[in-house]
Amino acid sequence: MGDILSTIFSALDNGNLRTGLERSVRNLAPASIRALDTWPYLVELAEHVRKVKEEVFQNIDYYIDETMKSVRRCAGHAYLAKSPDEVKRIVDDIIGDGRKLIVKAKSMVTEEIQLREHLIAKGHEVYETDLGELLIQLSGGKPMHAIAPAIHITKEEAARLLKKIDPDVRDDMSIEELTARVRLFLREKFIKADVGISGANSIAADSGAIFLISNEGNIRNSTNLPPVLISITGVEKIMPTMKDAFFQALVQSGYAGLYPPTYLSVIAGPSSTADIEYHRVYGVHGAKEMHVILYDGGRRKALKDEHLWEQLLCLRCGRCQAECPIWDLVGNTWGGRVYGGPMGIGWTAIIEGIDKAAPLAMFCLGCRKCREVCPSKIDMPSIIRYIKSKF
Amino acid sequence: MPLPTKDVLSMIVRNTLRKGSPISIPSDAASGWARDINLPKGGETVLYTSLLYQMVPYTIASTKYLEKLERGSVGGALLKLGKMVSSVFDVSKLASGVSQQEISSQHEILKRIAALIKKADIKFGYLYDDELYAGTLLYDFGRDKDFAKHAKGVYDIFKRNGVGKVITIDPHTTHVLREVYPKFVDGFDLEVENYLEILVEKEISPKRKLEISVTVHDPCYYARYLEIIDQPRELLSRAGVEIREPFRTKRLTFCCGGPIESLSPRLSEEVASLRVSELKEVCENVVTMCPFCYVSLSRAGQGRVQVKDISLHLGEAYL
Repeated sequence: MGDILSTIFSALDNGNLRTGLERSVRNLAPASIRALDTWPYLVELAEHVRKVKEEVFQNIDYYIDETMKSVRRCAGHAYLAKSPDEVKRIVDDIIGDGRKLIVKAKSMVTEEIQLREHLIAKGHEVYETDLGELLIQLSGGKPMHAIAPAIHITKEEAARLLKKIDPDVRDDMSIEELTARVRLFLREKFIKADVGISGANSIAADSGAIFLISNEGNIRNSTNLPPVLISITGVEKIMPTMKDAFFQALVQSGYAGLYPPTYLSVIAGPSSTADIEYHRVYGVHGAKEMHVILYDGGRRKALKDEHLWEQLLCLRCGRCQAECPIWDLVGNTWGGRVYGGPMGIGWTAIIEGIDKAAPLAMFCLGCRKCREVCPSKIDMPSIIRYIKSKF
Repeated sequence: MPLPTKDVLSMIVRNTLRKGSPISIPSDAASGWARDINLPKGGETVLYTSLLYQMVPYTIASTKYLEKLERGSVGGALLKLGKMVSSVFDVSKLASGVSQQEISSQHEILKRIAALIKKADIKFGYLYDDELYAGTLLYDFGRDKDFAKHAKGVYDIFKRNGVGKVITIDPHTTHVLREVYPKFVDGFDLEVENYLEILVEKEISPKRKLEISVTVHDPCYYARYLEIIDQPRELLSRAGVEIREPFRTKRLTFCCGGPIESLSPRLSEEVASLRVSELKEVCENVVTMCPFCYVSLSRAGQGRVQVKDISLHLGEAYL
């Protein structure tokens, strides 16, 4: 218990973190409010998405099944993995022997599984391709926010980290120059990569299509250029139809204050052509193989819990984090191994157990701001109060 | 060095169950203000303070002590912490740190509130030494069994005194009585009205205009749990007060940090300080409506803002 406060105090003493958080919070909150003012249909869509998800949760096994069938119908491979170890086994089998070059899109689910660490330990060369997440990888730390993982890293610190992969990076480079160096460095990796790994913001049961939103464009490259694509997503991201899966992605993007998303990728199976003699060939310009892994990781068990189930409506937009007074001060250091802030308390209970979440929960102010701004109107204060009762 | 969360928590629970409130308050400090203005004892309708305003001077003193413990400037060995934390809640040890002036200020607030409710033509009494703290913290910290036990005791006292309706004067007590007690206390049938709602409903009219500008700090429980947002603004506006809204306001108001003050004075103050900066951006006169907000924002806002309870402004204009 004392440990949690000690961690929080070191975060309070960390000037870079404080400045980074202060700046991002000042930008994140108004950006989201502006998006909802400009595109009010996002609020209606958010209500709709919650209703649809509740229906999916009632019949989760059915929807998992439908999704897997649909993925296979479009020539993809589908798996259901219950634990991090199962995901790792499946991924190892797909990747096969030998040292492979792997490019990764940012995905919180793979953080849960610690997939990058696993692949590196197996001897593969792995790169996060989201700029913020690449900085996190190089720093050896953990993401500070679901959408903006590196908000606590200054330009100077970023330059120092990027030198690890690019000796031509200099301390006095501007942010534009640093970004250009990363573009150059990763471009080569995208082209040469053997495998691309991504998460998914949404997945449609009726068609097996995954939806991915991105602003950098790195997700397009990670999912399109390598010959093998592996997409891993939590079972709670399943939506019954293409239409609702699309809505879910829009809502996440809007509430995160990044609207419209620069890129929205919809991927249903591997790339193919039948242009010569109507003979089907896979892997034209995009992936030759597509693997979709639906990840349980404690989710179906949590769906049966009368308090915790509601947290699974979370779209991971990070809106609650930017509005939480404690999170505004210390970011995800107030959190479990993967998730922090208001949504992070519930998620930590789901993936690491309620014992891990309870001492964190005690520092929740109960101010209800998270619930106020949540697109899914998740009653996080009540979830957290329940977790407090287990302290 | 961080305070031991479990020890602080169990002290709060123990004190509330044994003495009726997290910090026990001498009778004079608790109900002297009501004697001064001859409020009748008991009655069908009572003003219920839940002792929150009366606790303010003691909370300030105990927080100062906890702050020192947390900074490590008193005490030393971690082993002793539990013991020292428990001693802080012993009033006799705190007495020297309690400000007599703060006691009078809080009494003045309570007297103004009582006078405003009278002005709205409501007849009411007060429970004096029978009055107990509502137990809100026990509920907030998830101590449901302890809370249920305490709440039952509080309810029984109301019933024994023949109370049918309570007038609450702070957001936490209004919320806990209105929305939580019915779930924890069998047969709970008290009517709960908040004094700000009453003052607006009864359309009390101001005697004089106040030529001041203020910023209103909405307490989380009024704004997001009870939707008491327009009432304070209406009362202030009618009195000619200019209201300047901060960056985050009304339903999007930002917490003062108060609820975790006893678990970590430092973290709590950092939250308050963020809020003070936002408020100060628009106005140095900050209006609070909750004793916890008053304590937190005054502590973090020393030399930056002036914090004043809404009843003091309303008293000047309406009485």
